[in-house]
Amino acid sequence: MLRRSFTLGTLALCGALSTGLAFAQDMRAPEGPIEFTVGAGAGGSPDIIMRTFAQIMNESGLVANPIVVQNRSGAGHSNAYNHVLGLPGDENTLLTLASPVFTTPIVQGTPSVIDQITPIAVLVQSELLLFTTPDSAFNSLQDVVAAATAEPGRVRVAGGASGGNDHVLTGLLESTSGTTLTYIPHESGGAARATFLGGNVELHFATLSEGLEMIAAGTGKPLAIFSAERRTEEALANVATAREQGVDVVYTQFWGVGGPANLDPAVAAWWADKFEQAAQSDQFQAWLGENLYRSDMVTLAEAGAYFAREQQTFRDVLTRIGLAK
Amino acid sequence: MFEQLLIGFGTALDPQNLLFIFLGVLIGQVVGALPGLGPSAGMALLLPLTFGLEPVTAVMMLAGIMYGAQYGGTLTSVLINVPGEASGVMTAVDGNAMARKGRAGAALSISAIGSFIAGIGAVAAVAVLAPPLASFGLKFNAPEYFLLALLGILAMGSLGASPIKSLAAGLLGLMIALIGVDPLTGAPRLNFDSPVLVKGIDFIPVAIGVFGIAEVLASLERMDKVQPIRTRLRDMWLTAEDWTKCRFSILRGGVIGLFVGIMPGAGASIASLLAYLTERRFSSTPETFGKGAIDGVAAAEAANNAASHGATIPMLSLGIPGSASTAILLAALILHGIRPGPQLMAQESALVWGLIASMFIGNIILLILNLPLAPVFAALLRIPYVFLAPAILGISLVGAYAATLDMATVWMSLGFGVLGYLMMKFDIPRPPLVLALVLASLMEMSLRQALLLSFGDPMIFVQRPISAILLAAVCFALLLPFVSAFRRRRSMAGNRSGS
Repeated sequence: MLRRSFTLGTLALCGALSTGLAFAQDMRAPEGPIEFTVGAGAGGSPDIIMRTFAQIMNESGLVANPIVVQNRSGAGHSNAYNHVLGLPGDENTLLTLASPVFTTPIVQGTPSVIDQITPIAVLVQSELLLFTTPDSAFNSLQDVVAAATAEPGRVRVAGGASGGNDHVLTGLLESTSGTTLTYIPHESGGAARATFLGGNVELHFATLSEGLEMIAAGTGKPLAIFSAERRTEEALANVATAREQGVDVVYTQFWGVGGPANLDPAVAAWWADKFEQAAQSDQFQAWLGENLYRSDMVTLAEAGAYFAREQQTFRDVLTRIGLAK
Repeated sequence: MFEQLLIGFGTALDPQNLLFIFLGVLIGQVVGALPGLGPSAGMALLLPLTFGLEPVTAVMMLAGIMYGAQYGGTLTSVLINVPGEASGVMTAVDGNAMARKGRAGAALSISAIGSFIAGIGAVAAVAVLAPPLASFGLKFNAPEYFLLALLGILAMGSLGASPIKSLAAGLLGLMIALIGVDPLTGAPRLNFDSPVLVKGIDFIPVAIGVFGIAEVLASLERMDKVQPIRTRLRDMWLTAEDWTKCRFSILRGGVIGLFVGIMPGAGASIASLLAYLTERRFSSTPETFGKGAIDGVAAAEAANNAASHGATIPMLSLGIPGSASTAILLAALILHGIRPGPQLMAQESALVWGLIASMFIGNIILLILNLPLAPVFAALLRIPYVFLAPAILGISLVGAYAATLDMATVWMSLGFGVLGYLMMKFDIPRPPLVLALVLASLMEMSLRQALLLSFGDPMIFVQRPISAILLAAVCFALLLPFVSAFRRRRSMAGNRSGS
């Protein structure tokens, strides 16, 4: 009896708290169809993430407004972000935030996008692995550092577009270990992988799901993971973190979402709530598991702080590589 | 393996799957025919609709759009000289010349047959040889891509009557491609601070302008004289002579297309260009090339369809997309919870073999769709040009808008229409301009990547075996005109001294 009233009491308290929160953060749904603007082509990670969210939101009835994922690809996501920046206050368009949205303005010397948009949420993170070719003499990150110190610039990295995640991570590696690597940019991550698998370069970065495939097929040898801790999967458990190997680099690829400038805070809060709910669905959790992604979601002002921190990292590294304008 | 293929056919022949294969190839046929809306755009549009389907059904349908578009793209290339995709430029050259002679039906028929034979051959190669072909494809990298693109650019010199004019057009194409963004570093260049030029100039407004709109402009000045193309029914069909001429063209084009297709960086446009140029070497009537050579059409069409199927090889066996379309196929797999990669063929063998079987079936459906309809489509040209011209203009401009959803593309197409008109007036061939534009970024990117790979040492082009062979081909292409000029002069001198 006592126990029951306690439970009821807790419930009542929770109820009071959540209504209180709802009052504190006014929410309002937008009207009409929604566009998720994606700066990558169909099939790129940002595209797949937004399509997954759109599908879950519409199919589960979480969001009644029909959602269209529109690829406005090209020119380092600037086609997409310029489109959204041109719609201040618009309630029917959200911008997908991937690293080019941060780096393209830095490289081109145009005003920051992150400082203008309305932050909504950090959605998904992907940890990164460093690979070398299966028959390489390198067996650890230390071997790479030693080789790159002995002969600066002789160790080659095949990665995605210039100024992208792979390039930034290469820059972080260089500055932290005091070495020089040769970074070879490619039009896409797939093209970079072809260069690596063809045995043309020594190093290549991969996401966990790409990495597991390469380990299973024996087409690559993992040297390091750039997370704070090791992964627990059997194939990855013995891959040491970069930090363990004396190179203090922790770097995670992430994707987020934001609204146009001057978006009504009530609508932004509504979206943040919807993204949080969608992320808690079984369907989304299963999808995360399949792709070995993480979702440490933060929303609104916290997301804004997260984006600002990451922007500073990008700016520092790009300035050091000499790409910032 | 044969057993697995049979199981694959079992999956593909399931009524529901069959329906979606049919839908896929039908949509492919339509998006291919519309300039501006290529297979990758069509696949991206329909991707969300496949969410409710089984993964295998979804992939079968999306793949259908991919190769269906190679059949559909032929229509506008042949009938109105507007290639909807870069891989259709070579088809337009001779296909449209044939249409002007009243042989549009034959051009469409041989395209369908060529695409079909090459498509089936390429699928068979996918089924039997995917892993070894994929690892062969990996031997091609930056140095080889650069030489391949260079070979294409040089060979364009022979696309018109005057090599200088053709190369000048090619050079102009390369220059246009420089506008926008440095492909390697992402740094903006040559955009004159114009927001339109920041994105660079894409294939679509250029092709729609210099082909479609220029054609209409040129016809304005002779509107009263233009007669509808007269087609007699017997000109619609292929003759026995056509077939004998094209048998081996299809074979050669298909093989070239397949090999270019398996390289993860090359693409169907290089495939059709190389197949066309190779075919002219082999043809018994090389002088007809550019004026309506049916074997040229057959080779180019066989090559682009084989390349589009070949691109599934690196995708299925390595998880690397070889083209924009296969990138979307990969995305579809990921969205359906299937992890692409080297183990796909082992772990998802039912899906992979179902897909392979569906490509056999899809190609058969496309042949059945296209052969009887070829004369029907060709009959469109009987419409008087006064009615046809506004339709061409309309399709062109809508296509330009649909490609980017931006009016700037429409204005750009009109600008390039004027350029194309001037090129026609000065008798400068237009295909080199468009092809060079397409090849430029591959050429620039791969040259710079190759030199990064070698730490700046140009010997990389000689040290790699395949690269060395391609370099020899480039040298041969450069020296050939001088050698033949020298021999011609010698033989003329010989004749004079003899007489």
